[in-house]
Amino acid sequence: MSIVPKETIEVIAQSIGIPNLSPDVALALAPDVEYRLREIIQEAIKCMRHSKRTVLTADDMDSALNLRNIEPIYGFASGDPLKFKRAIGHKDLFYLDDREVDFKEVIDAPLPKAPLDTAVVTHWLAIEGVQPAIPENPPIEAIVAPQDGKKMDHGKDDSLPVDLKLPIKHVLSRELQLYFDKIGELILLRPETALFKEALLSLAKDSGLHPLVPYFSYFIADEVSRNLSNLSILFALMRVLKSLLSNPHIHIEPYLHQMMPSIITCLVAKRVGEQVSDNHWAIRNFAAKLVSSICRRYGHVYHNLQSRLTRTLIHAFLDPSKALTQHYGAIRGLSALGPSVVRLLILPNLETYMQLLDPEMQLDKQKNELKRKEAWRVYGSLLLAAGSCLYDRLRLFPGLLSPPDIQPWKTNKKIALTHLPNNKRKASSTLNSHQPPTKKLAVDPTGANSQFPSTDGPATSSSCGSNPNHHHSHNSSNNNSSSAGNITNTNTNINNATGSGALAQRMAGSAVLRQAWKEDMDAGHLLSSLHSLFGEGVFSFIQPADMHLFI
Amino acid sequence: MDDEDIEKAVLAYLRKKGLKLTELSLQEEQNRLSTDASHSRSQNVADSYFDGYSRLRSWAYNSLDSYKHELLRVLYPVFIHCFMDLVAQGYMQEARTFFHTFREDHELMHLRDLQKLEGILSPSHLEEMELARFSRQNKVKIRLCEYSYGLLLQFIHKTKSFDMLGVINQHINFEVTPGQPTSISDDSEAVSLIGASQDLAREINQKELHWGLLEDSVEERMEKTLSDLDKTEVEGNKEGDPEENNKKKTDGNKQGTSVSNKKKKDKAVGATGKSTRSETSMVSVAPRVKSELTLPQLPPEVELSILEDLRNRAQLNSLALPSVSFYTFLHTHNGLNCSAISHDGSLVAGGFSDSSVKVWDMAKIGQPGRASNSQGENGSMQGMHSLASDETKRPYSLLQGHSGPVYSVSFSPFADFLLSSSSDNTIRLWSTRLNANLVCYKGHNFPVWDAQFSPVGHYFATASHDRTARVWSMERIQPLRVMAGHLSDVDCVQWHPNCNYIVTGSSDKTVRLWDVQSGECARLFIGHRSMVLSLAISPDGRFMASGDEDGTIIMWDLSTGRSVSPIMGHNSCVWTLAFSCEGTLLASGSADCMVKLWDVTSSMKALKTDESKSGPTSRLRLLKALPTKSTPVYNLRFSRRNLLFAAGALSAGS
Repeated sequence: MSIVPKETIEVIAQSIGIPNLSPDVALALAPDVEYRLREIIQEAIKCMRHSKRTVLTADDMDSALNLRNIEPIYGFASGDPLKFKRAIGHKDLFYLDDREVDFKEVIDAPLPKAPLDTAVVTHWLAIEGVQPAIPENPPIEAIVAPQDGKKMDHGKDDSLPVDLKLPIKHVLSRELQLYFDKIGELILLRPETALFKEALLSLAKDSGLHPLVPYFSYFIADEVSRNLSNLSILFALMRVLKSLLSNPHIHIEPYLHQMMPSIITCLVAKRVGEQVSDNHWAIRNFAAKLVSSICRRYGHVYHNLQSRLTRTLIHAFLDPSKALTQHYGAIRGLSALGPSVVRLLILPNLETYMQLLDPEMQLDKQKNELKRKEAWRVYGSLLLAAGSCLYDRLRLFPGLLSPPDIQPWKTNKKIALTHLPNNKRKASSTLNSHQPPTKKLAVDPTGANSQFPSTDGPATSSSCGSNPNHHHSHNSSNNNSSSAGNITNTNTNINNATGSGALAQRMAGSAVLRQAWKEDMDAGHLLSSLHSLFGEGVFSFIQPADMHLFI
Repeated sequence: MDDEDIEKAVLAYLRKKGLKLTELSLQEEQNRLSTDASHSRSQNVADSYFDGYSRLRSWAYNSLDSYKHELLRVLYPVFIHCFMDLVAQGYMQEARTFFHTFREDHELMHLRDLQKLEGILSPSHLEEMELARFSRQNKVKIRLCEYSYGLLLQFIHKTKSFDMLGVINQHINFEVTPGQPTSISDDSEAVSLIGASQDLAREINQKELHWGLLEDSVEERMEKTLSDLDKTEVEGNKEGDPEENNKKKTDGNKQGTSVSNKKKKDKAVGATGKSTRSETSMVSVAPRVKSELTLPQLPPEVELSILEDLRNRAQLNSLALPSVSFYTFLHTHNGLNCSAISHDGSLVAGGFSDSSVKVWDMAKIGQPGRASNSQGENGSMQGMHSLASDETKRPYSLLQGHSGPVYSVSFSPFADFLLSSSSDNTIRLWSTRLNANLVCYKGHNFPVWDAQFSPVGHYFATASHDRTARVWSMERIQPLRVMAGHLSDVDCVQWHPNCNYIVTGSSDKTVRLWDVQSGECARLFIGHRSMVLSLAISPDGRFMASGDEDGTIIMWDLSTGRSVSPIMGHNSCVWTLAFSCEGTLLASGSADCMVKLWDVTSSMKALKTDESKSGPTSRLRLLKALPTKSTPVYNLRFSRRNLLFAAGALSAGS
């Protein structure tokens, strides 16, 4: 009859110490119990409403009991909703899941965080009736969605707040769709044609391509991951990216985060291209350039862009388990980011890295020719990085350049006092002994050399000519550049002379140049340690710096 | 045998006289007596109620369309009285089944009542529960047209359902009107069960009501000076400006130059130009009344700041919507019960369930968002900034004193005082300058749900669980007036702009308007279907809006006491309502995390044009719904410059 069955009354009676309640009494009590319950709940609902809530809590029940002058029930905090569990084997018997708590656990447990204090913040809910799109306000599409949602599933209970977000339709005109399809086709099928070049031009110039940018960024990311073995497509994709980046009408910042991974993939992937003979170095160089240009353009917008990028690259560089190709890409990427990055990130690690690289480059230690080749590549890229860094340093201190012949040597003397006696002199001796074979190997070493004495003459003559180090380093660098000239045709057109120079050195297999490199390393060491001196210390054998001096 | 003879004679007499109803009721009475006589017939009684009602029900549902709604209206009182009859006679089980069988029909209209009645399980409960008691004691008045009444009688006679007849006779008063059946929209009148209340309401609502605005208010004075200015303007411009008809258009910009040597106040007013005039003209329509209370004097600097605000007021209408500045309470842990915002938005107070009141000085926190807007407004509050510097750790000032959850807070008009009411039966007055408790008002016997300062300050009204509303003045610890009459908790209270009246909303689903001077109920508004949670009175003093637990918002005309336009406004409790300063917009805030803006002007205009028509069917037009990010809206307030402030606690859990 009443919701409360008489058995419940009997059970409660037993629990409070009335063992034999007559069924009649229980039957009479049951309806009244229900009525009182309803009464209390009604009062509790009032309290809930005045607490401006729509969920009834244990506190409300306590306040309702207070209103009726009844002792509240202790032990039920309002914190968490009570969890009722169904008794096994009974359809409608529930009990509170009340775990036993071990005192030790409670005592040992760290103190919970202090709850945050109440605070008030303000925002504009509407400005002249229009809701500004700020994070404090709900997103616009969420406003529209519930109305549609309600129509669709009317019977759905609204106890669970479901955050409905309808997909936004992005309308793309027919022309743009055609354009996009055409470009995609060109990239994948005919990246070598003149038409593709036209397309690149159009991508770089046309206004009104903006609606396509998300599609392109997705397309590029997708295709790069799919076509890692296909160099020509990768190249085409990178070119498209470059064009898009250079288009002044496109607001590309929001999509950079989608594009960066694909570029970095091209830069530091373990394997790019299908065959070993594929010139994956070129695409790495291209990607490095792209990265640096992006950093230059958007570094101020995304303040963490460069830091994230350098972190990724330096990780690749410093991880000895990574392949040499990856190291190469990382070095290229870092050096493309500018000399200061090189100075801060590469040069301090140079010495340790060289110890790692050294055995890889030597003929007797590394039998695999391919590996050796790669090592030399890496070596070349390091040299270029360090060189360009030095070059920059020199440019930064013009005082070093204007009186190039006096000041440098003064400081060099100091170095000679500290470093050279044991290190560089030894280098010079080895150099001397190894010079003939190098010259023999190089096709036109004399031509190159003959150029230099004339320009180099004043510098050497004015200063202490007894410094063989200086003199010799010129030779070695000349060797590099000159030998580069003939080897480039065997290899593809890598644009940096040092890279191929490194190759030449590998071909020569001479310790001379390794020694020379050691000097470079010393210079790097100096660079980091002696701020005022480092420029001059390695000044002489860094090619770009030299060129700058001589021009 | 004698009895039978007498019976026959009586019946014959009744037949002769044509007193059909009496005859039927006599027979029914006899029937019941006979059924009561033996216990074996108990099943019959229940069955007869059951059958009788179900027959009446199916008949009513199959009746002619144009009379159907009238006849259906009869069903509900018959239903609950049948149920209560059964309970009273002790047939619990039967009463239960009866109730559950037919409950569905009435859920739409009377859900809350049904929930209450469902709990009645023994005759003693009938006595105890006020709803049941009132409905047993009083008759429901139902208006039927002649024809419907005839139909009903005919049906009862034909089917000889005497139980039903008995119920109808006992508990329903038919008010038979000649002519056409009433329209469906009048249904709202049939909502309330408390029979006498409709008569009472009619009686009460015939009292005279002076809903006009106060004489000699700042606004009025401003308008006066403005019109004076117009006159001097006309004189000054007579020869230069022959077309006086165009005066209104042109003087707006000419005033700027011509008033330079006038009084200071005139200057302030002059710059407002046309916009102020058109805006105040609406107010001026309202008649002026004298205050029945002695009102405090405005300090001159406050008056100046009010004038400044009036001058800079943004004019709102259906096309120019207000800006809404939202104050979100964070980390409240479900403890925020209420909030209040000072008139200029510089102070925000929250009442918490841990008995504390916290006041934030937003000017000090320095929110860039509203700094520009309230710069002029808090000019009067400069003194405030130095206070509470001792509590450097907290960004707010903590007011402790209550010993139970705080259910409402209210700022005085110039934000120098704060009232808080609590479940510890007290109201406390705090000084926002000293951050200290000044007075503790004891008088209510139960939790005080609401406390509101009057528009001029000094006086305040409270509403309590003890079913009374009280009016106090700040300087006395005893209430000045006790307003008794509500049948359940008084949940909310609001002042009329002229301070002569207060309105209260109650859990008995009515709103009452009380005369502060006499303490008598001056209006009774029946129409809500659940407890009334929020009230607002339009600035011209003519209309009132009330919001309830179901999300319904009803506009009332105070002078007639009738509802002007019901709106199904929200999906959940309407916590707060506010009129814009010119009364053109109504803002409502709800537990469904929405602020809605309603167009008052257009609907009221429609009302004015066809005032002769009785059909109050015009609905408020929804102008804008502004959803918040899972933040129920606890409080809304228009500043004097018509910037809308809203406050709510972020409820991350839901």
